[in-house]
Amino acid sequence: MPAAHARGRSGRRAARRAGESGTRTEYLAFVLGGETYAVPIAQLAEILKPPPITDVPRAPSPVLGVISVRGKLVTVIDLRRRLRLAEAPTDRRTRILLVESGGGEQMGLLVDEVHQVWRLAHEEIEAPGVLGGEQAVHIAGIGRPAGVDGAVLILLDLRPIVEGTRDG
Amino acid sequence: MEGGGRGDGGARDEFFSEAQELVDGLGRDLLMLDEALKRGQSNAELINDVFRGVHTLKGLSGLFGATRMAGLSHQLEDVLDDLRLGRIEMTTKVLDLLFQAVSLYAQILSAEKGESAEPVHDVEQLLLALGQASGKRAGGSASTVAQYDLDPSLLGVLTEYEEHRLRTNLQDGLALYRIRVRFSLMTIDTALDELKVSAKPHGEIITYLPTGAGADTDAIELEILMASRAPLSLLRGAIRGPNVVIEEVQRRSGAGATPPHIPPPTPPPDPFSPLTSVRAPLGLDGASLPSHDSSARGRSPLPTPLFQPAPVASMPHAASAPARGPGPGEVSLRSVSQTVRVDIRKLDRLMTIVGELAIVKTAMARLSERARSRATGPKELAIELGRLNRTLDRHLAQMQSGILEVRMVPLGQAFDKLARVVRQISREHGKDVNLVVTGAETEIDKLIVEELSDPLMHMIRNAIDHGIESGDERMRVGKPPVGTIALNAFQKGNHVVIEVEDDGAGMDPKAIIATAVRKGVLSSYEANDMTPREVLALVFMPGFTTKEVATDLSGRGVGLDVVKTNMGKLGGVVDITSEVGIGTKMTITLPITLAIINVLLVEIGKHLFAVPLASVEEAIALDPAQVRTVESREVLSVRGVSLPLCRLDRLFALERTAPMPSKAFVVIAQVAQRRLGFVVDELIGQSDIVIKPLGKSLKSVRGFAGATELGDQRVALVLDVAVLIEEVLTPGEARYLVQAEGGRA
Repeated sequence: MPAAHARGRSGRRAARRAGESGTRTEYLAFVLGGETYAVPIAQLAEILKPPPITDVPRAPSPVLGVISVRGKLVTVIDLRRRLRLAEAPTDRRTRILLVESGGGEQMGLLVDEVHQVWRLAHEEIEAPGVLGGEQAVHIAGIGRPAGVDGAVLILLDLRPIVEGTRDG
Repeated sequence: MEGGGRGDGGARDEFFSEAQELVDGLGRDLLMLDEALKRGQSNAELINDVFRGVHTLKGLSGLFGATRMAGLSHQLEDVLDDLRLGRIEMTTKVLDLLFQAVSLYAQILSAEKGESAEPVHDVEQLLLALGQASGKRAGGSASTVAQYDLDPSLLGVLTEYEEHRLRTNLQDGLALYRIRVRFSLMTIDTALDELKVSAKPHGEIITYLPTGAGADTDAIELEILMASRAPLSLLRGAIRGPNVVIEEVQRRSGAGATPPHIPPPTPPPDPFSPLTSVRAPLGLDGASLPSHDSSARGRSPLPTPLFQPAPVASMPHAASAPARGPGPGEVSLRSVSQTVRVDIRKLDRLMTIVGELAIVKTAMARLSERARSRATGPKELAIELGRLNRTLDRHLAQMQSGILEVRMVPLGQAFDKLARVVRQISREHGKDVNLVVTGAETEIDKLIVEELSDPLMHMIRNAIDHGIESGDERMRVGKPPVGTIALNAFQKGNHVVIEVEDDGAGMDPKAIIATAVRKGVLSSYEANDMTPREVLALVFMPGFTTKEVATDLSGRGVGLDVVKTNMGKLGGVVDITSEVGIGTKMTITLPITLAIINVLLVEIGKHLFAVPLASVEEAIALDPAQVRTVESREVLSVRGVSLPLCRLDRLFALERTAPMPSKAFVVIAQVAQRRLGFVVDELIGQSDIVIKPLGKSLKSVRGFAGATELGDQRVALVLDVAVLIEEVLTPGEARYLVQAEGGRA
């Protein structure tokens, strides 16, 4: 994938440049319905290739089902459905992001494709307010890595996503 | 079981748990003795411990009428007493007998519990061997003493223990010194203590006795016998005083000229009044003493009768293995004890939670009072109830985790027994094996520990039999002659990992494939494209063994497949890695705690569900002709009784990729007099599963008790039958409410 490769290189360059000043947070970028999202790596436990997912009848609609990860049950959420995006079939690039959801429980988020890691400085993150109007609570900001033209990351706050699912 | 009326069940349970603990303790002590013996030492303190343990067991078994156990203990006591007093020497042979006794104890205990047959024959054999052992006095050692120029009258008054210490010290090559000291009667207490203190760093004082010489009204002369490695000059410097004379007791030339005089046993001297110790010889010839002269050693007389000889016909292993103890293959390491020792603080915590629950109950009562008096509107009531429900929920969860914690025991409980097995197997095989244990303190559910002992035993037996090479072979390939088996345990998240690692020959993939092909487990075509990992996994196949000759220990082709199955039942996984010439490592990964339930697996469409068998009455084929509709509900007549039906696919709104099969089944479930037939497509089979709770995110989903992993990465939901019956059979509006809430809409 040459495009991804190029992105990776420029990302590294940006990271190197930015390494000179201030603290940085690492974000994992992934694709969902054509848009690029990112979550803090600190909130991630693992990236999985999707195993067979067992459907749980009566579960809230974003819940795809449960899987077993090394003997532990993990609830898998379709992030597209959760963010009310159009649904799409899974393919070989589909991944599950394993995240800690508090209380020792892990949850899986189904995403289209996983990209690279970005190290963002505080200045490279815009408040969600720039989009104007009322923003969804799960959007933590917009990442604009310096020196990479056109790269826009929608930074997600996983907590409301995970907890919102819990309450149905 | 012979004879009821031995006290109530509770006391008997206590007997089992206490006896089990004592037996376990004996095993541990024996292992330490074995260690000491390997280093060429003897440990008097440990022998005393074992003696005390056996003595307690004897009393305990007498109390509960376990005659066979009491008899065995009695005989053991004699041997141990002889060991303690040095009348017989501690050898690996004797130790073998003691180890055998420990495993026989376990068998007797389980027989007493009615779980197995009494090992009558084995006990008799062991008793015989023990009798021989205690009859066999340490030959030649007395003559060691006789080689020294000691006054026979002095030897005559040594207690048996003192004589033993004397002999041991001489055998260890220490020099013997005679110290004559004159004490003033006024100061003898302090002066003697001072002398002991100054002598202690240099050796062991074996005895002190008044010489009788030079005694007058205000002074007394003591002769002190001391064994030491120090030369005479050093001792003379260390133990000084106006009236001290130290001389070395010389070896007699022409040793053994004087016949040894073995002193009779005397009661142990009162340490606080050495001066009054009996000087008069008892005039008994020690060699002719019967081996159990209980009164002379201050033991209580045997409370129970000795064994009656068992009729030959009832001997289970009459033909097998004379004098050999129960082979490890026939003996389970499971303990008969169902008891868990609990830290009182854990119970206190549970008690606190119970207190909180009582508060919830009070609130509940108040609420129902208010509801009855209609003081509160339904909406407030609902809110209050919801709050109470959440509190109750939280406390129940705390309670559950508290109780699970109480069930946790250290893995060491199983490991101790394994160390015994290693010793026994390696001795029988003539292989020197060292067991290195780490992580024995790792905690796991008591039930798992019990289920773990036997599989671990299989694995260790396998490692010694197939893995560890003979000493010569090891030398040839440049390994240390003593093989090592490492038993490591550690916690990893919610799991406990146990590794059994040997530094033996490893497993040769070619040999494995060859065997598998020969046994028809595998075609040579299939063998071609197997990864090394897949090849190793073949050893877990039923009936697989590479050893041509089945040995006593393993190689019967049972073992590893059983290990795998048993671990699977516990929700565990066995993994194996091996390198030729370097060794083999088997890894067991287990959940820390478990709730194993027996389920019936059923299929609906492509969905798998597990129904707990505890609430399943039976499963039958659905005869559509017998289905009637009563008030828009399907009812099936089964042997003249109506059974309401529930089509799970409709209840759960399951998608069907294929059309309904023509044949269906009904799983008849019953909870508290309420019966319901679940209609399913297919019955898959029964299974023991470990049930895991659904995450918090699925807390609102009703009708499932949890889920379980089926091994092939698939997960099956476990039906909460009680909830489903309640939901389906609750009449009228309430039912629709519940269903709507359940998300069926």
